[in-house]
Amino acid sequence: MDEAALDQAFRALKTVLGARATRAKAHRIGYSRDWSPRHSSHIDLPDIVVVPKTTDEVVEIVKIAYRHRVPVVPFAGGTGMGGGVAAWKGGIAVETKGFDQLLELDEANMMVTTQAGITIWALNEELARSGLWFPHQPESKRACTIGASIGCDNDSTFGLRYGKILDYLSNVVMVTGKGEALRIGRRKAAFSSTGYKLLDLVVGSEGTLGVVTEATLRVFPLPETRLVRGYVCRSLDDGLRSLERVLAGGICVESAHLNCRQRLHFYTHAYREKYQREPDIPDWAEAILFLSFAGDEDVVNFSLEKATRILLDHFGAEETKEQEMVDGWWASKHSLDFIPFRQKWPDSQREKKFGAADLGLPIGRVEEAYQRFLEIASKWGQDILGMTVYNEAPNKPTASISFAVFVDDSSEESVANFYNYVKEMSAMALEMEGTMSSYIGDGDRLGGFNELEHGDSYIYMKRIKEMFDPGGIFNPGKKFESRWITGA
Amino acid sequence: MDNRSLEQYAEDIYTCNRTRCGFCVDECPVHRIKGMEAYSSRGKMMLARGLLEGIIEPSTEVQEVLEACLLCGHCQARCALNNLDIFTALRQRMAEKEFYAQEHLKKVMKMLDAGRLFDRPAHLEREGTVPLYLGCLYQSKPIETRTIISVLERCGIDPLVVEEVCCGYLAEATGFHAQFEDIRERFRATYGNHSDQEILTLCPTCTVALTESHGLNAKHAILAVAERIGQLNPRQLDLQATYHDPCHLGRMLGVFDEPRDVLRALGVVLTEMEQNRVFSSCCGGGGGVADIDQTLALEIAKNRIRDAMRVGVENIITLCPTCEPTLLRGASRLANETGVFVDVQGVWDLLDEALN
Repeated sequence: MDEAALDQAFRALKTVLGARATRAKAHRIGYSRDWSPRHSSHIDLPDIVVVPKTTDEVVEIVKIAYRHRVPVVPFAGGTGMGGGVAAWKGGIAVETKGFDQLLELDEANMMVTTQAGITIWALNEELARSGLWFPHQPESKRACTIGASIGCDNDSTFGLRYGKILDYLSNVVMVTGKGEALRIGRRKAAFSSTGYKLLDLVVGSEGTLGVVTEATLRVFPLPETRLVRGYVCRSLDDGLRSLERVLAGGICVESAHLNCRQRLHFYTHAYREKYQREPDIPDWAEAILFLSFAGDEDVVNFSLEKATRILLDHFGAEETKEQEMVDGWWASKHSLDFIPFRQKWPDSQREKKFGAADLGLPIGRVEEAYQRFLEIASKWGQDILGMTVYNEAPNKPTASISFAVFVDDSSEESVANFYNYVKEMSAMALEMEGTMSSYIGDGDRLGGFNELEHGDSYIYMKRIKEMFDPGGIFNPGKKFESRWITGA
Repeated sequence: MDNRSLEQYAEDIYTCNRTRCGFCVDECPVHRIKGMEAYSSRGKMMLARGLLEGIIEPSTEVQEVLEACLLCGHCQARCALNNLDIFTALRQRMAEKEFYAQEHLKKVMKMLDAGRLFDRPAHLEREGTVPLYLGCLYQSKPIETRTIISVLERCGIDPLVVEEVCCGYLAEATGFHAQFEDIRERFRATYGNHSDQEILTLCPTCTVALTESHGLNAKHAILAVAERIGQLNPRQLDLQATYHDPCHLGRMLGVFDEPRDVLRALGVVLTEMEQNRVFSSCCGGGGGVADIDQTLALEIAKNRIRDAMRVGVENIITLCPTCEPTLLRGASRLANETGVFVDVQGVWDLLDEALN
């Protein structure tokens, strides 16, 4: 970084933000990591940290950054798994949780307009007072903000019924590369066939096109009843086909997660602690499908019964009697009613950390992909944590898959091999007509390989980037470069 | 208390950095005000790692972050790592490197020199059978304290109050380990002959110190009152209120039901704030923060008053000599800004009124 430019930028930022702009290392170190696997001693220190409270302040920050050509890296929950917030080219870390105000709850139109730094958890606490909820809910929702969900297009527990963040979004306010605050998208209509769908560009852009400061989102009535059940299946393929059949039967399923046997172990620590044994899963079971149903009690009961019949009668599945295991899994997925390291993760994370390749695949390739996952993970010496298939589109099975491993982050070699593993898994995804990432984003892992996935259209991505960010200041090193994965 | 070395917590520190769940960030009362990651538990864990690895050195900026921590334990309730021990170790590391607040040092020196944190306008002693440790804050307010002793008498308790020295909590909490060792020695010399007895206490913070740092069998007096209130036929008060769990009494000692039971026995109709019991939010008075940043403490207190306003109550009742005035300051300032005053009362005052 050009130190003189940084000094000038910092002085200008201080005049706008006062104490909410700092160069103190004591503050910069807090923005030096996310949840992505990297060597335990590796950090990326931004040069400056700012905490804006309003869109106007973000406009001023971006104008200053543009003038001095200093990178701007938006930071939200800090729980990303792909290095999306890693300021590895230095610059200004913009702490977005400073703008966290709910601006309008329009109950008549079932829309909420909020500053983008509000956490999904806090937004739902506000909405619950009016009997409403915002069902886009990644597991990281206690820390993850609306802006972060837009930025990395992350997953949601309830994707099967409600989809991903784009399915809720009407519009955003985004501050672009010269410091213009643009409202992008529709007003409050659910759709529009006018103009170009710029909102689609914003979702998943990982802060490379601008800083999202506001969002208008669809909200829903809180369901009266919810039931969650687990079904052991004879194969992963059976699990997905049975879900297709359940949905084809007209049943509304709120969430569906298909886990391989190994993955279940990660979620069932509390069960093992209590009973001193593994949950009772039949030897023949290769997968477990968790379904949730929500709505009016009689409808939920009927849906559950009908889905169960389909799974049992047509696919030879069994409903697990280990309801406590199911409830424990649900707590770790949705209610988050657990203490980290007590009920979840105590048998992991202390020595090694969670890491994943997050592929999106055609649904017919899941079984094959699972076998290849086992081979590729073993080849690169990764401890296999297991696989979960997330369903992330309304009313249809999809294969957004977490292929997870434990990474020994005390070893440079193990971390390097993790990224070799991700690279080979990504190549497999493209070979299978899938995508390299379905919910983590490019981060500092995959951007250099986007040309492989997107072919001739890749050049348009670069042009779009140049239009929104002519100074190249927004989150450099992402989307078009890879830091950890090299080679063809 | 053992000498806390940061190195002994390295595994916890790395585990937090490795996991980064962020459960501790959004609800941290200091982070709610300050907005920067470093003030949250996750951020301080990064600081701890930076200090361990030599990436950062002790500095006034690090000191400022650590001194802003309330040690309220809200983050620890969301986590199974030794968060508070680590933060105390961090403060100790900083104090060893001469990074400490002069205000804290003055108080610690007063504890060492005079055996007390505050001046004591009256000599409070009483012959009795049940040892009662008043603590420095109550010793500094003899009128209120005599009322509490009177309440205990009316509950059938016969308190024994003897010459006291300070428990030393503030010295321990602010990282003055060596000084705390001296304070502990003096405390043992004074209170050692009660080491096999149950000691009733009034101040939640002292209770934690007596139990955890001095190894005594201390019990907050509200527990003794709760055991007896059913037989006392108190006058019924016409009051709708919420109860604020003091961090030390609630989260750290697990006393949640007894104060509520006592209040209900007095006819108080309680409405819970959303942040209650183990997830109660600090009043702003913890960790020595108010000594060095009264604005921060005040803003945190105002947020707690807003928590009460959010559930539509105009009275907060609490049971801590730090929480009560801190919340009252927050309520007064917020009343100036909003025109709505939320009153703050102590359980002992209500007991005095109902048992008259």
